[in-house]
Amino acid sequence: MNIKSIFYCLMPLFINCLSGCSTVTIDQVKFSNSDLQEGDSVVVLGRRSSGDYETEPELISCVGKSLGSGSDAINVIPEQEFVDRLYPWFESRTAPKSIRDLQRLLNYDKVHQIFDDYNIHYIVWIDGITETTKSHGSISCGMSATVVSCFGFGSWDERAKYEASIWDYRTNKNIGKISSQADGTSYVPAIVIPVPLLAAVQSNACSAMADQLKTFF
Amino acid sequence: MQVHNNIKHFFTGLTAVMLICLTGCSSSVEVAGKFPKPVTNQYPFKIGVIYDDAFKQYEYIEQDEDRVQWQIAIGKAQVELFNTVLAGMFAELHKAPGVSDQGVPIATDEKVDLYFRPTVEEFQYNVPLETKVDMFEVWIKYHLRVYDQDGKLLADWIQTAYGKTPTETFQTEKGALNDAMVVALRDIGASVVLRFPHIPEIKAWLSKQKKA
Repeated sequence: MNIKSIFYCLMPLFINCLSGCSTVTIDQVKFSNSDLQEGDSVVVLGRRSSGDYETEPELISCVGKSLGSGSDAINVIPEQEFVDRLYPWFESRTAPKSIRDLQRLLNYDKVHQIFDDYNIHYIVWIDGITETTKSHGSISCGMSATVVSCFGFGSWDERAKYEASIWDYRTNKNIGKISSQADGTSYVPAIVIPVPLLAAVQSNACSAMADQLKTFF
Repeated sequence: MQVHNNIKHFFTGLTAVMLICLTGCSSSVEVAGKFPKPVTNQYPFKIGVIYDDAFKQYEYIEQDEDRVQWQIAIGKAQVELFNTVLAGMFAELHKAPGVSDQGVPIATDEKVDLYFRPTVEEFQYNVPLETKVDMFEVWIKYHLRVYDQDGKLLADWIQTAYGKTPTETFQTEKGALNDAMVVALRDIGASVVLRFPHIPEIKAWLSKQKKA
């Protein structure tokens, strides 16, 4: 085996290691059929009522962007725009937690009018978080007058777990749920400088969720 | 240095060390954000709003030597929030000059139906390094007072505002703290809009105006 063969054997392994490793699991429950027509809009919102975590705005924005792109793009209203337009009814403490709460809110003409202006058909509520489940190793860094250098190895496991509830605004029904769970391990070897090899756990959970939502609609 | 949870913390720590070296353990933020006009039915009344100097210039200065010496200026942002919210709630909003030594509102040039005076009672915050969760949290305790047109205290209540924001990759502490503050200010705005007609004394006053 010559040096070129060794290089070709090791290259895929090296590239694989560069991005860390992750797996994604998707589940779906559909209570009734969806009927998304041309011109209908969908709004994707994050649940922020839990005391010890908050669904990340960057995840919501990622799902919204993914739904709104590609040949099968859906018209998605950006979360912040929607929440601002309907202030103070969709703040973390005031947002409707059930279909019944939403019905009550829609009795209010001004809110109903804004929903109609946007031509909203579905509301997707995403609840969940990406968190570190385990971490190992250590990195030591030293600093002199001219240089900072580090040595060591660190790794951590992350889990992104999200659940989306899909509400039909027109029929006032919860029409289904999609859950997305991604697990992955990231590494940081440090020889002089730390080189992070990150597993894209959150973005994998986001793409899987967005793809499944497109199929759902 | 121990790598705790992920690379985010590593860089946050490194940035914090660099900032400490540069600023000598202090940091300041002037809160700025977007406060939308509330979607609500407007009361057909004129309101005079009283902002004391302490409220307009409110700045939290950390006194605990074990914490980063944060200076958080929220005066300007909270005035902007209350101006936007009250303008959405009432037909007319007027700025009242203040209160007399006896705590009675000094009349506005134009006669108003009610006076509203918010003051800050307490302010607290947490940064992720101090808690087990990756979040910046802010609590503000407001004392809200409503006076009738003659300057007589009609109602007063304590309202707590709470805001939190998760840490994001490459976001500065300043930016995250500002975001948590904006959430807390929007929270107090929401509470004022939703709770105002349910405060018993105000409810009674509103019903009296309806009958008149």
